[in-house]
Amino acid sequence: MSKPSMSQSKDTITTLSKKLDAAARDTLAYAKKQSADRAKVSASCSVEKRLVVENKQFTLANTLESQKVGLGVHKDQKKGSASINNSDQAGLHQSVDDALALAKFSVADEFLVMPDAKEAPKAKPLSFMWNDRMSEIGLGDLLEFTQSMLTRLTKDKRVAIDRLEVSTSCMWHGLYNSLGMEQHETQTSLSWSFMGMAVDGSDVSGFDYDGRSVYNWDTALDIALKQCDEFAEKIVKNLRPVKAPTYKGQVLLTPRAVEEILLGTILYHAAGSSVMDGKSQWGDKINSQVISKLINLSDDPHNSRFSGATSFDGDGLPTSARTLVQNGVLMTHLHDCYTAKHCKTKSSATSGGPFALICAPGTGDLKTMINARPEMLVVDRFSGNIDPIKGDFSGVAKSSRYYKNGVDSGGVGETMIAGNLFETLNNVLAVSSVVEDISGSMQMPWMLVDGVSVTGN
Amino acid sequence: MSMKDILQHLIQRQPGYLELRWHKRTSNSFLATKGRVDVANHSITEGVGVRALINGAWGFAATSDISEAAIKRAIEQANANATLLAKARGAHAMELRKGKLSTKDFIGEGFAELQGMSIADKLGKVIDLEHQLAKSSSRMHTARARYTEYLEEKAIVTSDGASCSMKIAQPELSLSAIAEKDGQRATGSRGAGVSGGWTCLFKHPTLDHVVDEIARTTVDLLDAKYPEGGRKKVIMAPAVVGLLCHEAIGHTVEADFVKAGSIAAGKIGQMVASPLVTMADSGTENIAGYAVGNLPFDDEGIETENTVIIKDGKLASYLHNRETAAEFNVAPTGNARAWLFSDEPLIRMRNTYIVPGTSKLADMISSLDDGYLIEGAGSGQADSNGEFMFGCSHVWEIKNGKKTRLLREATLSGIAFDVLKTVDAVSSEFQWDLGTGHCGKGQPAKVDAGGPYVRCEINIGGRQS
Repeated sequence: MSKPSMSQSKDTITTLSKKLDAAARDTLAYAKKQSADRAKVSASCSVEKRLVVENKQFTLANTLESQKVGLGVHKDQKKGSASINNSDQAGLHQSVDDALALAKFSVADEFLVMPDAKEAPKAKPLSFMWNDRMSEIGLGDLLEFTQSMLTRLTKDKRVAIDRLEVSTSCMWHGLYNSLGMEQHETQTSLSWSFMGMAVDGSDVSGFDYDGRSVYNWDTALDIALKQCDEFAEKIVKNLRPVKAPTYKGQVLLTPRAVEEILLGTILYHAAGSSVMDGKSQWGDKINSQVISKLINLSDDPHNSRFSGATSFDGDGLPTSARTLVQNGVLMTHLHDCYTAKHCKTKSSATSGGPFALICAPGTGDLKTMINARPEMLVVDRFSGNIDPIKGDFSGVAKSSRYYKNGVDSGGVGETMIAGNLFETLNNVLAVSSVVEDISGSMQMPWMLVDGVSVTGN
Repeated sequence: MSMKDILQHLIQRQPGYLELRWHKRTSNSFLATKGRVDVANHSITEGVGVRALINGAWGFAATSDISEAAIKRAIEQANANATLLAKARGAHAMELRKGKLSTKDFIGEGFAELQGMSIADKLGKVIDLEHQLAKSSSRMHTARARYTEYLEEKAIVTSDGASCSMKIAQPELSLSAIAEKDGQRATGSRGAGVSGGWTCLFKHPTLDHVVDEIARTTVDLLDAKYPEGGRKKVIMAPAVVGLLCHEAIGHTVEADFVKAGSIAAGKIGQMVASPLVTMADSGTENIAGYAVGNLPFDDEGIETENTVIIKDGKLASYLHNRETAAEFNVAPTGNARAWLFSDEPLIRMRNTYIVPGTSKLADMISSLDDGYLIEGAGSGQADSNGEFMFGCSHVWEIKNGKKTRLLREATLSGIAFDVLKTVDAVSSEFQWDLGTGHCGKGQPAKVDAGGPYVRCEINIGGRQS
């Protein structure tokens, strides 16, 4: 940590990962010596550079090298876990003892499981996740990048950026267990996030935020600047809110609203943990129609467009693309090894996932979707409560717009929406032909849905 | 040699302003559900964060290696980062308002109790509570008990005179349930967090008969209807008042947010609420003594205080760190907080509340013809323009001065200052009730909020026919 140059990052990661690799093996050996039946170690290290801008001023330059070792043990069908943020041998041995002490007072669970090397063969590395150029980025490069974003965000003087953060990260992650499973992954990334609002005299727009993460330095600036332009334009348009109508019926959800409102409920009921505990409404619905036929959803952990890409899951199983919902039919539950054993099925290698969700485009034309009713609320963000168990949702439509006879009448204020997601997911009238990447982590289309209560101020 | 002594030694003869913060967090967390223990985890995070100020620019570096050599390298790195940033943005004078720099060595009540208690006792209690809740009713589908404790140890030394240390304990417990009848489900939860030990946690009023309370409410909600939407007169329970204080007012008066143009900007001295409303954010609350945001000093080494934000309806103060205090020409309020050693301090709240009034809850209900008592505070968000949204798991209908029936969850919304102007009664009964979970603002923070029962007008989200 002597110089702020990122040219050292690759070397640092190489050195730290070797140290952590040795520490992980030693920890597994110590756990065995302490009579653990099974043990698992997750080790990671990263080098991060971060710049912070507040109110148009660079306010902080930050560098951080970090390590973390987490471990889990099984003893007499009971489990315990511990973690520390260094690779010190004495500390790791103490962590094993702590985890075993917790296991001793835990409850026996016949379904505890860890995959062996045969079940979890070495995953093929995803080469796009490491970018040498990205690993060489220094704070100076980052300053220029951030300045370009700031200039673009504040081109319109009405835009007030509360905070802009840009960071690069080089990281290594290793996963090991006492049954011979071993996986490793390295990753570089550039991430940014910004939040702000538009201020025009005494008129203050709603607060909004955006951001994303990319692997490739060469195309990052173009992506960032485009996002800055879109953000600035959007929040300025949300000044001087208009009154939304009150009705029950159709609303148009932007890709971000589809993610915020609809996605969580689908994932909750597809989750192996929900199925295992009898909380899922779709526990026995594999190969059955559960939502609108217009919805197609898959998870592609090997897709280079998305920041959640990974070659192995939290249990160490190699990942692969899989279809979750096809034409509204549930194709699979999302199981890890533990929930799979409970449910007498196989893991879908989605422990810690899904990783990169892709909702396929439909055939809907956006203009036609907006014109579906004379008074249309287009919801962009949702601030409220969603109860995935009952499916009820209720909250404020943020950064949302009111279209009258197909014409944009302005952003809306204090507008609430409510409904039931099981009904909404079966009342999808159209899915757009255009799709958007949400924060670089997933792809979603626009959706026209029916049966939503809209309460204007 | 203590960590404070080591930091004190290392900060000598350093150029410019330097702040060294050692932070060790030991945490235990347990989660029991369906007769299983899904989480039984012990975690330690320790390191030193270094912040340097050179020519008006901040540089930050952190190390998890707490040897003197590693801390020295982190100091060099922070200085290098600040120098680089200062060059990029041009020399820029920045004053840090000194305020009351702490020299305390503080050990909070309950730290030793929690540290010395056996894992078997703590985990056993969590398993037992889950079991009790699961068996409380034939309608109970899922019970869940979660316990988390933080044992925080810190030492902070600044080059201009702060030199302090603390040990505090922050345990929290929450229980939740899903009840089921004829395919219909209802959910309920209650929880409490304190700054104190195990004994203090279980004295929290929210945990009185906690299993019976959750079981009864959750099962009753199975047959409950939704409230009618629209603008209503309501009585907000302390947890809901706390949400309003924290989300809808508190964030808008954080000075960094004020500088960005929040709705509170330029309103000091103006009436923003009913004269019945006095609101504060305190690091040293002494109304009930258990609030989870109690801190002897903040992460800049400034002693905390009770900061009155709204006094008799008039906006009186923002929440400051040392930098914004200088910019606004006021004293720092002790609101600079960092989540981990590797995080830089940000302006954060501590315990945010409305000061108790003189009305009695019973009178507030009996004098209301048509309205709701809002309980079961859920999640909440607010916006820069003061627009807020809170979810509540259940509400009580009030008709002709009487609590009549329990209704399902509601969403409340409005513009915070507008809502506070409609306040017509504030109770003398008071409770902290938001000590579980975390506030998020880039980093998490343990905060608390609460207040008396407050009667006002608010929008309730409902379903349209």
